[in-house]
Amino acid sequence: MSKTNSNRKNYLWGIIAIAVLAILPFLLITLGNKGEYWIWVITEMIIMALFAASLNMILGFGGMVSFGHSAFYGMGAYTVALLIKKAGVPFFLALAAAPVMAGAVAAIIGWFCVRRIGLYFSILTLAFSQLLYMIAFQWYTFTGGDDGIHGINRPEFFGPVTYYLFCLAILVACLLVMRMIIRSSFGLAIRTTRENPERAKFIGISVQRYQLLNFIIAGAFAGISGGLITELNRFAQTEFLHWSKSAEPIFASLVGGMYSLIGPVIGSTILMFLKIVLQQVHQSLVEIWALFLGLILLVVVLFAPEGVMGLRQKFLKKH
Amino acid sequence: MAEEILRVEDLTKSFDGNTIMNNIHFSVPQGELSAIIGPNGAGKTTLFNLITGYHLPDSGKIILEGRDIVGKQPYEIVRLGIARAFQRTNIFPRLSVLENMVATVISNRKGSLNMVTPVQNLKEVHERAYQILESVKLRDVAERQSGILPHGDQKRLDIAMALALEPKLLLLDEPTAGISPEERWQTIDLVHELWQRLGITMIFIEHDMDIVFKISQKIRVLCYGSLLAEGTPTEISKNEKVIEAYLGEEV
Amino acid sequence: MEISFLIFQLLNGLTEGMILFIVASGLSLVFGVLRVINFAHGSLYMIGAYLAFTLSTLFQDFTLGPYLLLMILVPAAVAVIGLGLEITLFRRIYRKEHLLQLLLTYALVLVLDDLVRLIWGGDIRNVSRPLVLAGSVDFAGFSFPSYNIFILALGPVIALGLWYLLYRTHWGNLIRAAVTYPEMLGALGTDVTRVMTGTFILGCALAGIGGVLMSALANIDLGIAMEKIIDCFAVVVIGGLGSVGGALLGSLIIGVGKSYLSLVLVRLAMVFPFFVMALVLIIRPWGLFGKPER
Repeated sequence: MSKTNSNRKNYLWGIIAIAVLAILPFLLITLGNKGEYWIWVITEMIIMALFAASLNMILGFGGMVSFGHSAFYGMGAYTVALLIKKAGVPFFLALAAAPVMAGAVAAIIGWFCVRRIGLYFSILTLAFSQLLYMIAFQWYTFTGGDDGIHGINRPEFFGPVTYYLFCLAILVACLLVMRMIIRSSFGLAIRTTRENPERAKFIGISVQRYQLLNFIIAGAFAGISGGLITELNRFAQTEFLHWSKSAEPIFASLVGGMYSLIGPVIGSTILMFLKIVLQQVHQSLVEIWALFLGLILLVVVLFAPEGVMGLRQKFLKKH
Repeated sequence: MAEEILRVEDLTKSFDGNTIMNNIHFSVPQGELSAIIGPNGAGKTTLFNLITGYHLPDSGKIILEGRDIVGKQPYEIVRLGIARAFQRTNIFPRLSVLENMVATVISNRKGSLNMVTPVQNLKEVHERAYQILESVKLRDVAERQSGILPHGDQKRLDIAMALALEPKLLLLDEPTAGISPEERWQTIDLVHELWQRLGITMIFIEHDMDIVFKISQKIRVLCYGSLLAEGTPTEISKNEKVIEAYLGEEV
Repeated sequence: MEISFLIFQLLNGLTEGMILFIVASGLSLVFGVLRVINFAHGSLYMIGAYLAFTLSTLFQDFTLGPYLLLMILVPAAVAVIGLGLEITLFRRIYRKEHLLQLLLTYALVLVLDDLVRLIWGGDIRNVSRPLVLAGSVDFAGFSFPSYNIFILALGPVIALGLWYLLYRTHWGNLIRAAVTYPEMLGALGTDVTRVMTGTFILGCALAGIGGVLMSALANIDLGIAMEKIIDCFAVVVIGGLGSVGGALLGSLIIGVGKSYLSLVLVRLAMVFPFFVMALVLIIRPWGLFGKPER
């Protein structure tokens, strides 16, 4: 299949997928109250997909394992929460500030972390995100500590369906921007730093600088997703910054496939389904979500590390 | 007399107490095609590592076009005009041959920060990449994944990437290592032809004496971290110390 | 501030530092030989502490005897758990990409920490100190808990034991060789699995010892795993991976630093490991003992 043909096919699939996703809430609303719950679920799924895709810029395309991505998600969440609740800033402005703040924090944390490679980088990302969590936890007067920030207003025109569509629009827009970056010279340079960071230096690329830039971009996108979730749930809490929150985008990227843009989105969908299934089976099962997630992650790492998209590639090659 | 492009002064380096490089001193005029030979462990690759900024010397200077480059980062030294092809293949395995080249060409033109324009739209970059691939006879495999190519092809890709950097000084670390005897001469003829056409200063490390004596203008002999001798092939072949230390074993 | 008070804090810090050293050296050794950084090391330490708690409740009088029994049983139990993990999980990923190895141990933390929560619940626990060590000793103008003295004495003993193991036994030679020349490990043939498994068990046992010691020193709760692994990270950033000496230095710095800072503000003490990591990264990114990664 020639490149233009497969590109066109991808475009077609993309448009179909967006159309399906856009129509979904209108179908669900017919279910009445239950319908609203399900709309909330798919909205969260969309937001988590953005969170996962943002991580994957570092993980899949940059080849760097970051365990601290929840820091930027949480940063975005608290930015929106604090601006709306404490400063009375209108929603759209607060949301616009989220990636800026998250990106700024990513710049600081990232600067320290990229000074080491591989393994060390990974443990540093975990450490610094834990630091942020501790600060949020302790700083009761500002962040509400363990209680978090509640009662965030939502603008009147945002009903469940409209907010879902808004999030969907943001997701698509962000994915398009990420796609542009990945296909650009910068994206190619990042991929070289993943493939062979030593060689990248020897073709004149300042590896640390590029990794830091990528890290900031990924952090900014994560901030947007954090801002969106705050508005969805109308609260922000320290759980958003917890290290185990970073596991979800990792899981999504791994299960869906790290080396494509759509992989994390698929992975988030799968993750969401698992959560729902678990909830339907037994309410208390959700309490062991971390255990469950960990076990599945173990299975995936051991037996199917290339994820759904990777398996699809293999399948396509054979046929 | 051609201008000097590289001068190495009193270069010293030790690792864990072992002196690998001991007060090396030599000068390379612009446009010269020279070889560095010596027994294993003599410090040849270390010399390249020092010149390209991969290691920091304990003392000494490395002067490129009049400017001391000791302490500069590898990517800075690349920008100053030194390119390197590696002994063990050092490419981007999961990228295609073309992508390897395109990445290098873009980096050479300082365009790697562009986050907007899709790479495939950069016509001029692609033309240049194809041009260089043509000159190393790799144009046919441009679309293939570089990591699965045979060793000889990967080596030529490595050289092509170094060329794409439009260097003033090209360092080739054992360009024929691991290649079958027939292919060796092909590769070396290629290197020689490129040198004649482009006029780049080239220094290569080699173990195959036939090759070394056939194409180099000058030979420098490294032994246990010291420069044992320096001269034309004829001079070196008659040099007592060299014959004793090295050639005697080989021949 | 009186000198004796400063000395008191110093000794406190050294006590914490000793426990940290015992745990961190286990992490460091496992990395040195297996080239895997075991995130779950902190979780194993936590399991050791909770196990110590449960076992201690089996005894009527908690005298020295039962405590010493605990000191043997718990590390052994943790080592057995570690062995189980090594056989079922770690062995499968030795040859895989580092990325996958990291993800595996990370997933393991999720699993283990949640299991601990399910088994023991969220309440704070602790183990009472054996009677003979429950008191304190008057010393240079203040009272210092005997238990802390016990730890301060035990720490160097273990350090010495490790040193002896690494530098005076055949097995230790293999470990040190594997740390410096990982490629050579393959040349050893059948010994390889034994060295790797043995080192892993040793690492887990050290985590277990740390857990037992800690269980009677302070309160046990679900957060100690993450807290410890982060401290270990700080130690490793300072002292490098694979170096027991580096682990010792790093642990003492962290321990003493935290102790002095808690005099000023407890929150400062909490962020001290991060501060140190950041500082080292600015000044000497390759650690105090390592070489530049160029």
